Amino acid sequence: MQHQTLDAFQVIADPSRRYMLQLLSKDSMTINALAENFDMSRPAVSKHIKILYNGGFISIKDIGRERYCTLKQEGFDELQDFINYFDKFWTGKLKKLEAILNNKSKK
Amino acid sequence: MQKEIKKTWYFPQSPEEVWEYLTNPELIELWLAKTDFKPIAGNRFQFTNSCDGGDRKPHFTFCKVLEIVPCKLLSYSWQKGVSEDAITLDSVVTWTLTGKDGGTQLHLQHNGFYLLEDVMAHTNGWNGCLNKIIALINTASHATSNA
Repeated sequence: MQHQTLDAFQVIADPSRRYMLQLLSKDSMTINALAENFDMSRPAVSKHIKILYNGGFISIKDIGRERYCTLKQEGFDELQDFINYFDKFWTGKLKKLEAILNNKSKK
Repeated sequence: MQKEIKKTWYFPQSPEEVWEYLTNPELIELWLAKTDFKPIAGNRFQFTNSCDGGDRKPHFTFCKVLEIVPCKLLSYSWQKGVSEDAITLDSVVTWTLTGKDGGTQLHLQHNGFYLLEDVMAHTNGWNGCLNKIIALINTASHATSNA
């Protein structure tokens, strides 16, 4: 399977995958039930589910003969990490700007 | 969940001087990243390697000047992705400059993480749902084990 290394934002960049998360936020669903909401082939649905699974957004559990998808915290945590990353990024950049401006004033 | 970034920074320099560092590509490169920025509303530009996220791939940030008021306000879109056709992060950066105590109060707002907000808007309260789901699974597993 390809696309196993997508970051959290790449995972949610796809509208179909966002819609899947939206559907799953109401209740856990079987892969078959999820697939009914999409006008795409079953392998295409499976590919998206696999990406959500690899991104830590859902867990998959076999119950009887059905495979149930359930939302999982991990992927969402990674989105939060991303915001935190930018928070630090800007602090670092502003400090650098401050240092440059201060050095300039001294000259 | 935090959805936006806000920072306020004070510089003893004048707004005109700070503005130069926000809008002159040569000066921007000193503290932020290499860029082909032009201070014209609607102008598309890029930052290169402005955000190195651990891997060694070159990173590009695709931007467009949304609003510009000399020495007061600068706002641009901040999109990331492998190419302009494959944007995975769509957000907005806004700089506001205010003269204060002979220097400049610089305010940064980075928000509008659109795809993220879309996901959060639709999955908010999913923790509550999760409990319901866990209960459901437990019930189902119980039923299965009894079968």
